[in-house]
Amino acid sequence: MLDVKNLIVFFENAIALNDFSFQVNDGEFVGVVGPNSAGKTTLMNTLSGLIIDMQIKEKRKGGERITVYGSIVYRGRDITQTKPSERVRRGIVLSRERHPIFPESSVLENLKIAGFLRRKQEIREGIDFAFQLFPALVALKKKKAGFLSGGEQQMLAIGMALIVKPELLLLDEPLLGLSPMMQNTLMDAIVSLNKQRGITVVLCEQFARPVFPVIDRGYILENGMLTLMGTGKELMQNPEIKAAYFGI
Amino acid sequence: MKKRKERIDRGIKARSGDIFALSSWREMLYVAGPRLLPVILFLLLPLFLSPYWQRVMISLAVFALLAISWDMLAQSGMISLGQALFFGMGAYLSGIINHAWGIHPFITIPLATVFGGLICTLILLPVLRLRGIYFSMFTLILPLMLVRTIEATKVFGGTEGLSGMSPLPSGWLELYLIIIATLSVLFGFRRLMASDYGLVLKGIRDNDRSVTNAGINIYWFKAQALFLSSAVGAFAGAYMTHVYMFVGMPVFALDYSIMPIASAVVGGVGSFAGAILGASILVPLSELLRGIGGLRIVLYGLCLVIFIVAIPEGIFHYLQRKYQQVERWVDVDR
Repeated sequence: MLDVKNLIVFFENAIALNDFSFQVNDGEFVGVVGPNSAGKTTLMNTLSGLIIDMQIKEKRKGGERITVYGSIVYRGRDITQTKPSERVRRGIVLSRERHPIFPESSVLENLKIAGFLRRKQEIREGIDFAFQLFPALVALKKKKAGFLSGGEQQMLAIGMALIVKPELLLLDEPLLGLSPMMQNTLMDAIVSLNKQRGITVVLCEQFARPVFPVIDRGYILENGMLTLMGTGKELMQNPEIKAAYFGI
Repeated sequence: MKKRKERIDRGIKARSGDIFALSSWREMLYVAGPRLLPVILFLLLPLFLSPYWQRVMISLAVFALLAISWDMLAQSGMISLGQALFFGMGAYLSGIINHAWGIHPFITIPLATVFGGLICTLILLPVLRLRGIYFSMFTLILPLMLVRTIEATKVFGGTEGLSGMSPLPSGWLELYLIIIATLSVLFGFRRLMASDYGLVLKGIRDNDRSVTNAGINIYWFKAQALFLSSAVGAFAGAYMTHVYMFVGMPVFALDYSIMPIASAVVGGVGSFAGAILGASILVPLSELLRGIGGLRIVLYGLCLVIFIVAIPEGIFHYLQRKYQQVERWVDVDR
């Protein structure tokens, strides 16, 4: 489905992604795990195309020069230079890190804005589905999104990504700032999305504990380089991973 | 082979506290050159100019001062759309003092500077708590309000204004005083914003809540920044009163609000040098286009658009980057 080859991203002179290659098959749940500044967010931005926007903006401002090399092939078509809005139309949807919601709008409005591309009927179904997936949001329908708690905001953000009916859902640090309880609830919801709806999910995360048991395949990213890959179970058994991520 | 452009800073300036460690003439020239260039230009250029262009130079310096004062406010998080308030306040104050008691300009100008700054600060004190667009709207309305007040109540000469102010002693003094004032404000404010005090102001712009969390009263600091900025504006106004020997309603005109903003944006916001550079481009440009006639404003607007679209960061920041950085192609190493 998605085939990424030799991705190199420079922010000015600093290298953020160094020769990163990976594949995602249809219906898979792929996790990319790495510490801070490993290049996870850069990877997500590159896959969703946001980096093209950043490139243009920085260039006009005279800020950091962003250099991208490599190829991203999605369903047999090269999308390396495709605009982010066009990628969303083709089914690649990113939920950015740090709860990207519209704080001044209500929960319902947020979901409606997110579904801009879809028809009314589809939006209604999508909203129903989001509420079914996250029952906690139903009571908060009319509340301003900026006043929700972190976990509720993250649920809303994922709900917003789902309204667009993605084929490939990119999640950037969905567990950021959530309690272990909340993390488990959220991971359960994501797993059910993947298994029941058949949405392919690529998830970036620092926390290995809730992620490894549920993923089909995992990649360990360090300093922009792919250091280890395998199934979730294999990674859990790896002694180095155990030491680095589980402290055993 | 894949290549990318690499950027390297020409880092030769070692700074510890306020001590610069420089080892050769070339390095000294590299550091001092850009700072000396405007000083030399501003001081020597008037000697070669015709009397008409010397007058343009005075108005250039005035707009540069207003642009610097706008930049100062912008850097402390207050976007003002009413520099004309500061300008007009200074102009009227010195005009009234001079008209009523016939006091020498050398006394009225400093008086108008200080009290103009104080009055403007007091007027704007209630809106310091407003952020962003609300503050801007208030500053935009104030000068318009004052104009109508003067027109309706006929105070201070009403629509005719006050004329017959005492001129400054000599033409050369008139010219060089404002140039020296502009240069000292430029370097003084640059120094101020680089100090810890300036850091607080910049912090207020970036995130005022965090600054409050550091135990700093942001409203007190904002008021101080407002005083500094409006005092500079009032000085420019007071000066112009004695140059034109007249003060009237036009001092609250929109020109004095828009032009400084245009100068600062074209030159680059955030470094007072950009404001001066912008004024040095826009003011002579508007004079040059005077010969064209009807389409003058259109051409002028076109120039502005081109500057802003082509170099959105501002001319000064662009030049600064080119001066301080070297670029070269390197291989993308695997």
